[in-house]
Amino acid sequence: MSPRVLVAMSGGVDSSVAAARLVEQGYDVVGATMKLFCYGDDVPDRPCCSLDSINDARDVAHTIGIPHYVLNLEDRFNLHVIQNFVSEYSRGRTPIPCVRCNSFTKFRDLLAHADALGCDYIATGHYAVARDGGLYRGLDPNKDQSYFLWGIDRQVVARMLTPVGELSKSETRDYARRLGLTTAEKEESVEICFVPNDDYASVLERHLPADAPALTPGPLVTTTGEVIGEHRGFARYTIGQRKGLPGGSAAARYVVAIRPENREVVVGSAEDLAGLGLRLDEVNWLAPSLEPGDRCEVQIRYRARAVSATVLERHDDSLTLALANPVRAITPGQSGVLYGPGGRVLGGGVIG
Amino acid sequence: MRPPVYLDYAATTPVRPEVLEAMLPYLTAQTFGNPSSSHRFGRAARAGVEQARRQVADAVGAEPNQVVFTSGGTEADNLGIVGAALAARERGGSMCAVVSAIEHKAVLAAAHAVCHLGGSEVLLPVDAGGRLDLDALDAALAADPAVVSVMWVNNETGVLQPVGEIAARCREAGVIFHTDAVQALGKVPVSVAELSCTLLTLSGHKIGAPKGIGALIVRDRKAIEAIIHGGGQQFGIRPGTENVAGAVGLGRAAQLAAGEQSSLAERLCALRNELATRLKAAVADLVVNAETSARAPHLLSVAVPGADSEALLMHLDLAGIAASSGSACSTGAVEPSHVLVAMGVPRELALGAIRFSLGRESTPEDIDRAVEVVPAAVAKVRALAGVLGRAGGQADGRTGE
Repeated sequence: MSPRVLVAMSGGVDSSVAAARLVEQGYDVVGATMKLFCYGDDVPDRPCCSLDSINDARDVAHTIGIPHYVLNLEDRFNLHVIQNFVSEYSRGRTPIPCVRCNSFTKFRDLLAHADALGCDYIATGHYAVARDGGLYRGLDPNKDQSYFLWGIDRQVVARMLTPVGELSKSETRDYARRLGLTTAEKEESVEICFVPNDDYASVLERHLPADAPALTPGPLVTTTGEVIGEHRGFARYTIGQRKGLPGGSAAARYVVAIRPENREVVVGSAEDLAGLGLRLDEVNWLAPSLEPGDRCEVQIRYRARAVSATVLERHDDSLTLALANPVRAITPGQSGVLYGPGGRVLGGGVIG
Repeated sequence: MRPPVYLDYAATTPVRPEVLEAMLPYLTAQTFGNPSSSHRFGRAARAGVEQARRQVADAVGAEPNQVVFTSGGTEADNLGIVGAALAARERGGSMCAVVSAIEHKAVLAAAHAVCHLGGSEVLLPVDAGGRLDLDALDAALAADPAVVSVMWVNNETGVLQPVGEIAARCREAGVIFHTDAVQALGKVPVSVAELSCTLLTLSGHKIGAPKGIGALIVRDRKAIEAIIHGGGQQFGIRPGTENVAGAVGLGRAAQLAAGEQSSLAERLCALRNELATRLKAAVADLVVNAETSARAPHLLSVAVPGADSEALLMHLDLAGIAASSGSACSTGAVEPSHVLVAMGVPRELALGAIRFSLGRESTPEDIDRAVEVVPAAVAKVRALAGVLGRAGGQADGRTGE
């Protein structure tokens, strides 16, 4: 009997093609769409997670001849992802819910379903490569999504299949067209799935009390402590942000720090944004752990280039790194992902 | 792999060969006419529709001119309830729809639509056995509503509602009574001659006719107003060119269903009871919902404590058993069945509810397969619930909070 795979199908082209390739490779494929949240009728159609997406996934599953189910993980997603998203912003940080979703929802809760269904493997449409128990960057540098996958349990990597990880986006689309999949021309979803219209503050407003400190006005200060205005709630700002700050100074101003304890948003120059070191918390390893003195590359945001770093200290689940070159806007709450030779994901953590 | 076993006949049934045979001439060059046309093509089609009207009428003890074809049960329910509310408004009466809490969504939503039209709705409770609370009905009737709607057979539990008693009380109060008999026809004796209801809903695809055809039996045309508007077909109650082939199919299917009702009921009741007995033996704490109530013979609703019905259905499907968690909805809803909730079944138990429904094509082998597959699926799904927790389990160690 062929090995059975549970493939997470969002209703997008990538996971559609992932499922199709697995069928082609002879696996016993079961498709599943995770229903992760529901805001009722008043939210406009979303590219992911909406009913239309479920229908698209179901249609693709039918086309390629596999069963398809909807798995309701709303409670779990709310618990591990949305609540964390809100609490991180409340602490003046900028979270990446997709990382949490991968770590907790896709590669733990969905994996529990896969186990119950007797699946040997779990697959997604991520542009990353799982090979011989290691996780690597996707081959298409414009699409590589390994940055979002550092938090999954190490033993899961051996059970992951990444059927589109070695394709470019255009190869994926060509493949979908060739099979006549309804999702072939579907637009890319770039927003956070549960944040309508890219307006994350509206999600915070829905989940936090009206007088939450994170959403109430506070002082806008310079790095020297001078108050230069008022902000609209520190959760509405992120490190490195330029838009929405008062003008009037010669040099460009950026948000360089957020201090939730006294509700200050600190503005400064481009130089103030540059950092030469960082601490990672909640560190997770997908390879043997690094020790002080070890070198690797670290990537501090999704679209940033990885830079050389040296491990200074390692404690239980935290890691301190020195960077070879200054990096702009190291942002608490974002992920620091450690890469080794060949683009292998060694591990990662949440920037502290 | 062995062929899958279908135990979801209450959701829909295959078209019976006799029905398809009766329909085919009306889909092809032979008898394709518009029944409203006066020429020979039209007359031939008209004859098919009229024949179907007679067949449907005969099957439920109605008169042919009381049969109004619709696009299905949902439309018939809407026509009955919204149409009766509109007629009441026309008469200067109260635009209030009284429906039981365990109705099909078509009835519940139609009653809700009456509210949006400026009327009101009253939901009647049921007892723990899933039967209508007649005292609540009396209270509602005292307010002289436009229409009362209570289903003949509940589509999830199979519980027979006291429609004879309800009809008598409505008649005495001078209130229009509508009953949705979609799950009753062919499974229990249905006769509007004996039951003094004004309106009755039928659906084709539950009895071997295709999807897209149903009927509302209208025994008093003044009782309802049309809810769609057009060329005056079907007494102006349901305008639009008739679905001739569909009507012909419904006519034939209704004729067959009525004729075979008692023998089918006997056979299905034995199969259903066997399934229930063996499932209870195989899964110690499995509960048969409304077990002690009088039920239609083709429905079996069970609840499995600690199992999530959506996950259970998925496991059953992969193992080749097609069942349902109630009315067909496949978008991963985790709300418990409104029917079970209305009966006072605890939410925890209602979330693990599965409906098996039998039909003409069901065999003893189907029951064997279900009994073989269900216990293992239940065990897997319960183990899964242990891992994931139910309804918002606790966060684990790595939440970072």
